[in-house]
Amino acid sequence: MSAGEPTTESRVERAEIDRSLRGPVLFFFSSGIAWLLLGSALGLLSAFKMSFPHLLDSAGWLTFGRVRPAHLNIVIYGWASSVGIGVGIWLMARLCRVALRHRGMLLGAGVAWNFGVALGTAGILAGQSRSIEWLEFPGWATPVLFVAYALIGGWGVIMFRYRRPGHVYVSQWYLLAAFLWFPWLYATANVLLIWQPVQGSVVGAVNWWYGHNILGLWFTPIGLASAYYMIPKVLGRPVHSYYLSILGFWSLALFYSWNGMHHLIGGPFPAWMVSASVVASVMMFIPVIAVAINHHCTMRGHFHYLKWSPTLRFTVFGAMTYTVVSLEGSLMAIPSLNNLTHFTDFTPGHAHLGLYGFFTMTMFGAMYYIIPRLVGWEWPSAAMIRWHFWLAASGIALMVAALTVGGFLQGLELNDPQVAFMTSVAVVAPFRFVRALSGILLAAAHLVFAVLFVRMLMRRGERREEATLLAPQGTHSELPTV
Amino acid sequence: MSDPPPTPGPFADPPVKPDEIDLGKVHGSILREHEEPAEGRESVPLWFVTLIMMLVFWAGFYLANHSGGFRANVFNPVPGNQSPVPPDPATLGRRVFVQNCVICHQASGLGVANQYPPLAGSEWVLARNGHADNYLAAIVIHGLEGPVIVNGRLYNGAMPPWKFLRDEEIAAVLTYVRSQWGNAAASIGPDFVRQVRERTADRAEPWTQRELQAIEGRTAPKAAGNASPAP
Amino acid sequence: MNKLPQLFAGIFFVFATSWIGLVAYPYLQLGHMQPVKSAVTGEAAPPPLTGSAVAGSRVYAANGCIYCHSQQVRPAWLSTDIEKGWGPRQTVPRDYLRERPSFLGTMRTGPDLSNIGVRQPSVRWHFEHLYEPDVVTPGSIMPSFRFLFVQRPVRGKPGVDAVAVRGPNAPPPGHEVIPTQEARDLVTYLLSLRRNEPLPEADGSPVRQP
Repeated sequence: MSAGEPTTESRVERAEIDRSLRGPVLFFFSSGIAWLLLGSALGLLSAFKMSFPHLLDSAGWLTFGRVRPAHLNIVIYGWASSVGIGVGIWLMARLCRVALRHRGMLLGAGVAWNFGVALGTAGILAGQSRSIEWLEFPGWATPVLFVAYALIGGWGVIMFRYRRPGHVYVSQWYLLAAFLWFPWLYATANVLLIWQPVQGSVVGAVNWWYGHNILGLWFTPIGLASAYYMIPKVLGRPVHSYYLSILGFWSLALFYSWNGMHHLIGGPFPAWMVSASVVASVMMFIPVIAVAINHHCTMRGHFHYLKWSPTLRFTVFGAMTYTVVSLEGSLMAIPSLNNLTHFTDFTPGHAHLGLYGFFTMTMFGAMYYIIPRLVGWEWPSAAMIRWHFWLAASGIALMVAALTVGGFLQGLELNDPQVAFMTSVAVVAPFRFVRALSGILLAAAHLVFAVLFVRMLMRRGERREEATLLAPQGTHSELPTV
Repeated sequence: MSDPPPTPGPFADPPVKPDEIDLGKVHGSILREHEEPAEGRESVPLWFVTLIMMLVFWAGFYLANHSGGFRANVFNPVPGNQSPVPPDPATLGRRVFVQNCVICHQASGLGVANQYPPLAGSEWVLARNGHADNYLAAIVIHGLEGPVIVNGRLYNGAMPPWKFLRDEEIAAVLTYVRSQWGNAAASIGPDFVRQVRERTADRAEPWTQRELQAIEGRTAPKAAGNASPAP
Repeated sequence: MNKLPQLFAGIFFVFATSWIGLVAYPYLQLGHMQPVKSAVTGEAAPPPLTGSAVAGSRVYAANGCIYCHSQQVRPAWLSTDIEKGWGPRQTVPRDYLRERPSFLGTMRTGPDLSNIGVRQPSVRWHFEHLYEPDVVTPGSIMPSFRFLFVQRPVRGKPGVDAVAVRGPNAPPPGHEVIPTQEARDLVTYLLSLRRNEPLPEADGSPVRQP
């Protein structure tokens, strides 16, 4: 397949595929955005509670220890998974060149997924949290999610099975893998931790095997699949190297899945488990550098497109952050450095850089590409897209900077036996306040995006056939196909 | 493609057959779109292959040296990484203090107003103004409840008994608090703590201030046991 | 990589290695730990949890204590945890064999609680601290858990377990603060956290006098 001028047949085929995806994908996007707003509000509340512990402290359901896991689970299962499923299904259908069949059932699964998230969140706030990180939903909510997922993931795999003959693109490997890994992860974790709980310390191992893999083997492959699609698609050039793609994919599968125990260095585990994760974490240099070279060389000579294309700007921001956050993660796993960052605010800084700076930004980029094709309408306001980008980018940069520096100082105090514990609380306090302020920027970015999304659904603004660009194109004639 | 038309869902448009799509009505985003992406065939850079080789070599080396034979009861991957052997009394005193005492008396030794009395400058700690060394040891062993006056202020809290601490640990922490925050009183040895423990062996409840002050005051022998001199 | 079966098999087997390595094999190695006979008390160590402590661990989970408090002591060759006073020795898998789940935690926004039952054995202190943390510990950012307590009018003599409240959330005159069963269970659980039993496999295990 070459990146030549598309034929009329291929255009009709794509139009047909997009039409078949319209309902389910827009449903996953809208519910995801609704969860994003709620998740941002809860995240903001937890952040301010760390600076003002008396804020809303009279009721159990508003206590920090419930609001924080509610924030995390809403953002993971409500926002990131929903939008990831939407983007994943769209990419899969486009690349397999098959229209979606039985979309009513997929929609039903989406409704069930959202019902499961709502049920689980209510359970956490009502005091039924399991306090197993990333798996706080009570045992009576998780089966709903699992059944809903089985239907959703099945769609991805079935589409792959019935794909049109031809080359299988790198994004398809990542998506197929993600759709297969997630149920395995989720089922294992639920069986061993919630339905048939294992002995105490094994809980820690399974917990972080799950916690790290849902990031590494569910969100990361979807984010990379999207970046691998969007960058060459918008530029109209091929991805740099098929061999690097292969290397990146299989080394990610092999090494990322062994990373979990680096969250528990020094914990009650035999030396070999921790050492295996330390090695795997450092070996993550291989997939990360492979993907970074591949994306960078695809972009090379075309960075000025970032001025115009919303898709590319968000996606490239995400892809670059992926490199940064992964290298940071590898370094954090080295025991002598981990000793400083472990148990401090450095870790949530790292988590936000990964899940927001990389995944969420990449998904925003994908949505800027996909939604006009589903709605048949162009984005009504370039100014709002610019606001969305700069609020989100500055918000996440400020948040990560505050947590990284604050966590570093906190770690120094925590490790110094001559210093009282309360010093470590005091030293990080101003940074926690800055982090809370950065949350306002992110929440504002999400509000802007939500308004833009609703205006898009309602087809506000004037009817146009050309793309909404972030800046006037000037003398450049190569129109980005945003 | 012989697929049946998509089943309409709540969000769906009326079903459309491919040949019904008029290219003139297809939205501009589809028309201007490039072909689906493809892959180039550039080779993997040599420096990266070298880096991978080095990483693989390092991984094998690290695992061989840090896996503890993959056994369940090996927690220390490098046998040379020995933990410090039993600490000297000065370190032990600080360790016991941060472990068991700071929660109430605070790292500053100033306590919490009305509740947890200060240790800094306290006549109880320094055995001044009619307070004796054995009161201090007895408080740590059995605890203290109810109102207590320290430096002219009233505190009303409850200190639990710490009798599970070893004599060396109690002696070390007493010596520690008597040498911090400007305190400078003689050290207390484990033998003295053992004697106090024996003399008050029948005590089951925490003391009150009045009960303590009713017992006979005793002074710890100078430089007793192996307690360290105050720094 | 154009064939579904090969791709599928690769995706399956590569992931299976980590499932075997970090889930199945650790389960075989660590999933069936047995208590040992305590050198101090002669009874099983770690001791079984009482019903109230088990209920308390659910209160601990429900209110998300884990997000600020860890329950693991790292060995002295790796960290300063022992110097810092979190426990006399590193924690090992056997310490957690009664717990389903365990609350190892990954944050020390607040102090480590591995040995809180040793470090602060006073029930009164825990009630007061849960009710108004920043009054009991100046500078603390722990939220108040006063929703685990009830205020009631004093009938006759004050209740024996009435909490001595000093701060701004003190009850109105003639009222007292009494811990609910949840608060009592939580404190029972906290006091049960004593991972100081000398264990042969744990680095730094002190030799204790009987």
